Amino acid sequence: MSKHDVTMTINGRRHSGSVEARISLADFLRDEAGYTGVHLGCEHGVCGACTVIVDGNAVRSCLMLAVQAEGSGVKTAEGLAAPDGALHPVQQAMLDEHALQCGFCTPGVVMTLAALTGDEKKPTEEQLLAAMSGHLCRCTGYQGIRRAVRRLAGAEAGGNS
Amino acid sequence: MTAHEIKAGRHIGRRLQRKEDPRLLSGRGQFVDDISLPGMLHVAFARSPIARGNILSIRTDVAREVDGVHAILTQQDLARFKVDMINFYLLPPELPITPLAGGRVCYVGEPVALVIADSRHIAEDAASLIEIEYAEEDPVVSIADARHGPLVHAESESNIVQQMGEEEVSEELDALLKGAAHLVTQKVVHQRISQSPMETRGVVAVRDGTEELTLYITCQSPHMVARWTSLALGLPQTAIRVIAKDVGGGFGLKNHPWKEEVAVILAALSFGRPLKWIEDRYENLIAANQAREQEMVLQIAFDGDGKMLASHGDYSCNNGACPQVADCNIAVHMFLWAAYKMPVYGFLTRGWYSNTVGLAAYRGPWAMESLIRETALDKAARQIGIDPLEIRRRNLVTLRDQPTASCMNIPIEDITAAECLEKLVAYFDIPAFRKEQEAARKEGRYLGLGIATYVEPTGSAGSIATMTGELAQVRIEPTGMVTATMSTHSQGHGTATTMAQCIADRLGVAYEEVTVYEGDSSRGGFSPGAAGSRQGVIAGGAAIRAAEMLADKVKVLAAHLLQINKELIFIEEGMVHVTGASDKSRTLRSIAEVAYGEPSRLPPGFEPGLEAQFRYQPPPLTLTSGANACVVEVSGETGFVKIRRWISAEDCGTQINPAVVEGQVAGGLAQAIGTVLLEEMCFDARGNPTAATYKDYLLPSISDVPVFEFVHADTPSQTIGGMRGVGEGGAIIGPPTLVNAISDALSIFGEVPVELPLTPAKLLGIIEGRDIAGHAHAEPDSKPAVGEPLVEASAVETLAETPPEVPALIDGDWKMVLSTPMGPQEMKGHFESEGQSLSGYLSSPEGEQGFTGTVEGNRVTFDLKVVKPLKITLKYDLTVEGDKLTGKVKMGIFGSAKLMGERVREAVEA
Amino acid sequence: MKPAPFDYIAPRTIAEACSTLAEAGGGATVLAGGQTLMPLLNLRMSQPFILVDINKIAELKGVSRVAGGIRIGPMTRQCEVLADEALARDLPVLVEAMSHVGHHQTRNRGTIGGSIALGEPAAEMPAAAVALGASIEVRSIRGTRTVPAEQFYAGPYLTVLEPDELVTGLTYPDWPQGHITVFREVAQRPGDFALLGLVGALVIDRGKITRAGLAWFGMGPTPIKARAAEQMLRGRTLAEIDSHAVAERAISDTAPFDDHHASAEYRRTVGKRIFARTLREALDIREVA
Repeated sequence: MSKHDVTMTINGRRHSGSVEARISLADFLRDEAGYTGVHLGCEHGVCGACTVIVDGNAVRSCLMLAVQAEGSGVKTAEGLAAPDGALHPVQQAMLDEHALQCGFCTPGVVMTLAALTGDEKKPTEEQLLAAMSGHLCRCTGYQGIRRAVRRLAGAEAGGNS
Repeated sequence: MTAHEIKAGRHIGRRLQRKEDPRLLSGRGQFVDDISLPGMLHVAFARSPIARGNILSIRTDVAREVDGVHAILTQQDLARFKVDMINFYLLPPELPITPLAGGRVCYVGEPVALVIADSRHIAEDAASLIEIEYAEEDPVVSIADARHGPLVHAESESNIVQQMGEEEVSEELDALLKGAAHLVTQKVVHQRISQSPMETRGVVAVRDGTEELTLYITCQSPHMVARWTSLALGLPQTAIRVIAKDVGGGFGLKNHPWKEEVAVILAALSFGRPLKWIEDRYENLIAANQAREQEMVLQIAFDGDGKMLASHGDYSCNNGACPQVADCNIAVHMFLWAAYKMPVYGFLTRGWYSNTVGLAAYRGPWAMESLIRETALDKAARQIGIDPLEIRRRNLVTLRDQPTASCMNIPIEDITAAECLEKLVAYFDIPAFRKEQEAARKEGRYLGLGIATYVEPTGSAGSIATMTGELAQVRIEPTGMVTATMSTHSQGHGTATTMAQCIADRLGVAYEEVTVYEGDSSRGGFSPGAAGSRQGVIAGGAAIRAAEMLADKVKVLAAHLLQINKELIFIEEGMVHVTGASDKSRTLRSIAEVAYGEPSRLPPGFEPGLEAQFRYQPPPLTLTSGANACVVEVSGETGFVKIRRWISAEDCGTQINPAVVEGQVAGGLAQAIGTVLLEEMCFDARGNPTAATYKDYLLPSISDVPVFEFVHADTPSQTIGGMRGVGEGGAIIGPPTLVNAISDALSIFGEVPVELPLTPAKLLGIIEGRDIAGHAHAEPDSKPAVGEPLVEASAVETLAETPPEVPALIDGDWKMVLSTPMGPQEMKGHFESEGQSLSGYLSSPEGEQGFTGTVEGNRVTFDLKVVKPLKITLKYDLTVEGDKLTGKVKMGIFGSAKLMGERVREAVEA
Repeated sequence: MKPAPFDYIAPRTIAEACSTLAEAGGGATVLAGGQTLMPLLNLRMSQPFILVDINKIAELKGVSRVAGGIRIGPMTRQCEVLADEALARDLPVLVEAMSHVGHHQTRNRGTIGGSIALGEPAAEMPAAAVALGASIEVRSIRGTRTVPAEQFYAGPYLTVLEPDELVTGLTYPDWPQGHITVFREVAQRPGDFALLGLVGALVIDRGKITRAGLAWFGMGPTPIKARAAEQMLRGRTLAEIDSHAVAERAISDTAPFDDHHASAEYRRTVGKRIFARTLREALDIREVA
């Protein structure tokens, strides 16, 4: 069973560790790097709770090995807020629209939306909703998530929602 | 308690941002898997791959060799702990349940061995190397199997775990059903559901010293868990602290610990290091207790005008092998006709054992009542030729009819189901829809409208030991900030938010100035937490009253300090003001500093500090009413169902935070959609669960759930604050609303058998008039009361065998114990016989009651009329054998209870 | 659910990967996008001794023109296929099919080669490859061979790949500009296993169908080439086509399963119907009365 040294940048900081090959990126982020905001809802790639951003893309961290993220830049929900504590626009939209209840699926939803918005990306509401098909929520019936998506798409389009 | 109407005030009634959200959105929640303690080790289980059989051998030697394994435990190692796997009502199970399987396994996934290792990975490695030999037996899987097959548990008399109601339909009811102008029979077969919160079960158990135990556990009330653990594990002297800051949904699964959690706690007690077990999703889908596998046959007699005359219900639910609470679901029958005028109702209700994972609660465990009733009414409307709205209008209890009582003697005082229905009808243009439906049919498109009404029992308190009131402890700190400790608990409910709103509103401070703490059994007081749509109602009332008490204290002190009449003082935005003297305003902080730090300035008799607490005991029941409507389109090409529109007209009284209320309703409705269209936990003939991942167990995704429209009504309840519970409503009213819409869409093809889920294959089969789903109708095994014979008595409990005749020696005093569904009742009996006449009395802490009866040989029978909990006649049928008394007591609709007695011997005088 | 232990190697060249596979003697599994393999590892349904991660092999990536077709490297990410301009222009049905594969998040890691090599009966990519007449280049230390997609699939999750072989290229033959695309998937929600589906392409030349490539997914143990239907369509003018008759032929080639999600009868019933409708819509023809 092989062990590997792995170094990646997480939320702007370099993290190094020595892990067995079988350790998932999710487990590495949670246990080695302390980012317990990455949640394990199923570990078979369906629920989306473990979603993080790797090199700019939203991915399911339970379906990546930690060793595969060697040299990558990773972002989790803990790293989204501004240094002064101001919430990221996605977090703010979800707060304003009551898009969460228990909060377990939430970090994953936040990261998918964060990956698709900002940086002049201008996604449509349809595109954001389509990306939400990769997230399961048992609490909210997705009502607030829809409203947050509408707000974000509207903001991206430059208008007020 | 008088009605206490709260107008949309400073904070109550507003859609304020939740206090929980910033940390949850930033990934800084504290769920049980986020807990890491020094020296902590990890647990994994080896589980049974078969549904039924004997364990022949367990070999752990190879598994122990795995590097990083510390210990492997089986039930043999845990047997020295006396564990009583009590249920939510704190009553022992019908049959003993052990944490790990001991000797026999009775469901696939049952935990057999527990591995303690350095990591979860290693623990699973070792678990896979444990060699367990089984002697496999054919399992009892379905309700039909349970009715006709072998015993699931050898120690039980039958596969009925609990039964209530009457086995025989009364002559009166029989005549009413048979003689009706219209008799409608509705059958529902309901699939098994996995509650499937996004966070699975889990616990970290830490023994701190010999008499301290700390549990981090994902649960629905830390206080409930602490109490349950103390009683179940027999740890009366142990200080048990349960901490659960954030919980990722409960839905009934996490009311109290079950086998795995208990095994981990026992292991931690004996092993001496913190132990963590986090259930993975595979374990959760196959081995966490489940819900809803039921069938029911309902018959309703209507007169020529569509008014209901009588009804009979035959209900069965699959309790699995080790139910968390043995349940024949009497609640279904209690609430089935609560909102309607139903003169006569009879029922038989049974819970069955099977070799499957056991029953636990799931949001609105009695939801079958609305599903079968509302679909039956629509069926009746089609059968009789009346509009489905009309048939409801003719039978619903309106405000004008109240106060009244339901046919099950539930007091009905302020329900508005009929009024919610009218509100819905006013909001949604039904005639326009019918035109659209007609036009669409011509194009081969099948639109349907479904409507359903109901009442939901909420805020229940006082009749069951664990369903208590709620405690609010509120204080103004010396800094002027407000801190509250509540007995509430949130698994998404947002109680820290809603309670803060109540407190801020009644105290007169800013919402931002109130901090609410919950989720730690070392603070606050006992409550069962989230169970039965109760926290908003009860804790809201407690928070309001405690805040009012505290506000009054502030006013008393301020009046004294300012030398002003207390009536002139009011608190607003954290400032203490005097009416008509704006120069006399003071900060709350300045008043608080005096209260805590300057005792010489306090008025005589004033308790220093600014702290108040109130435990609110609400009225026994608060009913919430509602009506829902939805529009669907069923595709004739694929059988897929698209929900086009959904309107909820809910009367939940005062809404503390409408966003929270709507969130609760929406969540329940989403689960309803999953129940009707998507979710199914099946077992094959060997008892193997066939939906073990989310690829097969389909939870509703965003594309399945429409945007819900809300048309609120807010008739204040009789509680402090006027709230009514909403937690479970969506999951109860949702399924019949959707099923009715689908039935309406396909009514031109015939009746849609209500066998959930209504898969595309089933619906396509209705449209094409043939079996496309690939199996014959899953007919419920129970037969209608009228028209077909009932199930033979052979499958049902029989009376105790009559022992050989001995002279009747009933005379004298007896110590007796009656095993009722509410718990064991102890009493003393005094008997005097003269020939065949019997007289005597029973005495208990509640009092003494006399009776007369008959003696025949060693058989003794007598009746006892009681008024609590309902007016029923208890029929005693006992047999004397030496110094032992055995027998049964028929308790009216509550079925039969076993009685055991022992003769009281006079002390031998010296 | 944590995987059983395994050794991990991430070769940088195809040659390295092939020699590792050969040495492992059947105990190795290839890790491409991981979106299907990782769940199997987590569930311990797959327990290789050694995991060969091919994500670092540059030679396996990229889309390029070759004689008479397009070559797609198997490690091209599904999202990259969706974004590729050449593919949008030259193989639009492949792009359309890809938009139905999984979810946004899984397409960021999943690869086209991974889907092809897995052989999931309800998957879109294997069926598209079969329909479009793609060929699959396979390499081992013993050499290189090319297998037509039609011959690649042997059963559910079973291909003709030997344990020491690696998919190294996917070549799709050209379809003329303006060809007709055919795609219809029946799935309850986006990203679910398809209950059934149809994919392919048709060429109309001077009013007649000159070329037809059609395949089912979710209608049998492997993707099913709708040979009989293709044959019935070739040489026909649009006016001659009875979509229901062709659909009948198309169904006759299938062998759908009963499973947790749908019955065989459902698949046959709906399959026939959507075949006929999709054909009509693609060709813009009417239903024959």
